[in-house]
Amino acid sequence: MALRDAAIVGYAETKIVEKEDRDIWEMGADILDQLLARTGFEKQNIDGLVMSASMTGAGNPFWSQTTADQLGLELDFCQIVDLGGCSSTAALARACMAIDAGMCTTVLCLYADAQSSDNNRRPRGFEGEWTGPLGYLGPPAAFGLLSKRYEHQFGLDYAMLGKLAVAQRGHAVINDLACEKLRKPITVDDYLNSRMIADPIRLLDSVMVCDGASGLIVTSAKNAKARGISKYVVPLGYGERTMHRVSENITEVTETGHLVAGKRAFAQSGLAPKDIGSYHPYDDFIIAIMLQLEMLGFCKPGQGCDFIREHDFTHTGDLPLNTGGGQISAGQAGLAGGGTNLIEGVRQLFGEGGKRQVKSTKSALVTGIGGIPYGRNWSTSVVMIIAPNG
Amino acid sequence: MTNLNDTLNVTREPPKWRSYSKPYWDATREKKLLLQYDPKTNRYQFYPRPNSLATGRRTLEWREVSGKGEVFSFTVARRAREPFRGHEPFLIALVTLDEGVNVMGNVVNCSLEEMKIGLRVKPYWAPLSNGTHLLMFTPDR
Repeated sequence: MALRDAAIVGYAETKIVEKEDRDIWEMGADILDQLLARTGFEKQNIDGLVMSASMTGAGNPFWSQTTADQLGLELDFCQIVDLGGCSSTAALARACMAIDAGMCTTVLCLYADAQSSDNNRRPRGFEGEWTGPLGYLGPPAAFGLLSKRYEHQFGLDYAMLGKLAVAQRGHAVINDLACEKLRKPITVDDYLNSRMIADPIRLLDSVMVCDGASGLIVTSAKNAKARGISKYVVPLGYGERTMHRVSENITEVTETGHLVAGKRAFAQSGLAPKDIGSYHPYDDFIIAIMLQLEMLGFCKPGQGCDFIREHDFTHTGDLPLNTGGGQISAGQAGLAGGGTNLIEGVRQLFGEGGKRQVKSTKSALVTGIGGIPYGRNWSTSVVMIIAPNG
Repeated sequence: MTNLNDTLNVTREPPKWRSYSKPYWDATREKKLLLQYDPKTNRYQFYPRPNSLATGRRTLEWREVSGKGEVFSFTVARRAREPFRGHEPFLIALVTLDEGVNVMGNVVNCSLEEMKIGLRVKPYWAPLSNGTHLLMFTPDR
């Protein structure tokens, strides 16, 4: 199978900061520099570039191409993936596809955004006509509507969402690359008492927009072996779903595209939720972590709170969750933020988690959430299951 | 009682419509609510699209509807950008119209205590400076 023939041979990450002084291309150059130093690859070995979306860069319709120019990359395959927060993981999937199709041999997946200092976003969607005139604050309002609906359908124990927030924050405290402002422990009471943004979405449910970059080098497993690379990470399964059930007028906002994407990823990988060593879900709001547990089959729909009550999500627990702090506690590097979840999963499988290393490195599950549509949950859902080679 | 703003004093810029949503906005001049209707599948859709969400074809008609429905979900906006800053808190509801589509709107003349999922609502039209109106909702008591 195509995915399994690919090898992630290196990962890199910058510190996540509020209002970075440096240009976004300097952050990108840091990632390339780290990756070359780590993998022993020469710049000339890289013949593919797949970039994530970027609030800073992607308003420029030549984003991947101008980045290749700035970084001096001579390429046979070059593109951006514009699936919002899914872009980073979707970029990895496309890198594997391009290698498998013989279009290139070694891809730099580069995720960089400086949304907090240089936001060039130019949205063209429904917002101007249908939500802007309502004073609708985008994602917090959307997740407020979603959470109220969930509470109506199933009941919602907010202390359980607080438990997830506390676990992630504990991980950010021991992650030197997490945004400094967020590296302070919190309690469930802190979560419950944090101020309301869009009922019932609280401040501590939400991501803080930051700047940051991350990346991977992906090559064929054959090439990795030929270069004598003994340890690498392999994608086992991937699923992607955009505009889940959009042809229906009304959809239950508590059912997401992860239902479909997760089934596909698990089927390809041959694994089941019980086989997952660590869980790295895209986390723009805490409730999204719980909804994904339900959609991916860790528990049934509506039973997320019970599942959370019964499991330990710290790095020493039975289902380690976003062990770098996730985006909510490490900071959201704009549309490159999905890279935070992805890179942490890869890092754990390399056994390089340091103070936050998880016990089970047999597999990791990474997800993405991208785009907020009108009156539904999210526009794109992706699921990637990865494992170490051998 | 929680004091909620009805946002009627917020100065909103009239939205810029698209070629295919113009009939909706034109009808609001007379406080009429038009929805796109696909006669092939007997379904309404919202927000207005250039084609049928069900079939992808361009067989849509516009039909006038009552605008009555019930609250599917709601949120209280406690933080907002300009021109809504300083007008918080206010309600935003996702309403299932009787024709089977979900539409979002602010809710006026409604306390937080009265607001609940399933609450029956009816249209409330807020005037905009270009003569069109913005669809809001108010409890259908």
